[in-house]
Amino acid sequence: MTEADAYALSEGMRASLATLKDVGGITGSFVCTPNGRLAAREIPDLFEDGVLAEAGSRLVRVREAFAAGGDVLDIGVVRFRDHRIYLKAVGDSLLCILAEGAVNMPALRMAANLVGRRIAPAVTRLEAEPPPEAPTHTQAEPTQPTRMPGAAPPGMRRFRGRTID
Amino acid sequence: MTIQLKGSNGGEEEDRTAPGIEPGAAAAVGFRARLAGVSLWDLVQMECQARSHLVVLVTGESGIGYLYFDRGHVIHAVTAERNGEEAALEILGWTNGSFQPCERPWPEARTILTSPEALILQVAKRRDEASNLVAFPARNAPERARAATPDDDVLDEIELFELEEEGAVSMRSTEISDSPPVPPAARADFPSAEFPVMLRLGSHGAILKNSGGSEELAETVAYVRRLTELVGEFLGLDGFSAIECSFAQSRVLAFVDSNGDTVVLRPRPEANLQALRERLGL
Repeated sequence: MTEADAYALSEGMRASLATLKDVGGITGSFVCTPNGRLAAREIPDLFEDGVLAEAGSRLVRVREAFAAGGDVLDIGVVRFRDHRIYLKAVGDSLLCILAEGAVNMPALRMAANLVGRRIAPAVTRLEAEPPPEAPTHTQAEPTQPTRMPGAAPPGMRRFRGRTID
Repeated sequence: MTIQLKGSNGGEEEDRTAPGIEPGAAAAVGFRARLAGVSLWDLVQMECQARSHLVVLVTGESGIGYLYFDRGHVIHAVTAERNGEEAALEILGWTNGSFQPCERPWPEARTILTSPEALILQVAKRRDEASNLVAFPARNAPERARAATPDDDVLDEIELFELEEEGAVSMRSTEISDSPPVPPAARADFPSAEFPVMLRLGSHGAILKNSGGSEELAETVAYVRRLTELVGEFLGLDGFSAIECSFAQSRVLAFVDSNGDTVVLRPRPEANLQALRERLGL
């Protein structure tokens, strides 16, 4: 899969995630793969990619912890004082929805189910991809342009937390 | 329970409040006793057996109440929020405190017709059906009001529920008093049959109580709690309080108790958890 393909998948998922906001009280959502990749996000920039990846990887571990005991997670709700995180298993990945405490839960459940189904094919494709290599110091100063011809539309500079030239 | 059964053995003090001695009576006979470890139920039965006519101030772990005895019956009771039989049941549910005769205006009419034995049995039944006290974290009032239904009038009173547990302590066990005091007004029974698995984990993950749970589940939930707290820190979300996970065949709920313990529940698949969810904000 090329970067462009991955980007297209991510953008498609992002559009689906955006529909979750039709339910009042939803702050945003993101999708995290089993290897900790942030596959897609539709959440205010206040939450940086790195932060979402860190949080997502812990939520993936929650799922793994239960799976170790034979409990395969389908849905999870984590309650904080003023917020909830709604988790929906999509393939081996997790759709994580950040919502206010007073969100309409039946509506959220239904919306999450629909979005989960819609993004499932894209998630499955992304899961098959190897995790991105961690940038090293030498890679941070490339001497050659890394952009493939036509890889990213103009103005679209970020993909899964990395800047695309 | 520490009690003060006042009386005298002919000394100068005219304590007339020993069982069977009416306040105001001229005679001043009997012993002064100071006992510890006596149950409130025993004291009530003593007063009834003595056919006392007196008012007793009961100071319990959750407030004070008055029991009115007359000719072998508890005929009236008052607590801060209740009157009559409900107040008597509330008082009899207390496990620690003191029992002291006092002067109070006598009620105009008898409010309790149930026999003292039946009252005690009623409280005992509630306690015998359950032995483990689990406190719910209270949710914010606005949200509760928003979701209020007629049934919530009862559910709002639930600050703790009780679950059966192997090796359960009896009502009179002092272990019960280890739980933080919870207003009796906030007590209600919760159907224990709906939760075949219950675990209570200490703040460091140690299993404090276990009914049907496994060590593996305890370890899992202890880890999950830590992970969710980390998630909260990453995302700037304070106050992790509960989690519900639905699996293919079962569900698990865990919540942080008022004393910091983690309580883990695995309900029966068919159990209706709506009330519990609302209580936990899930």
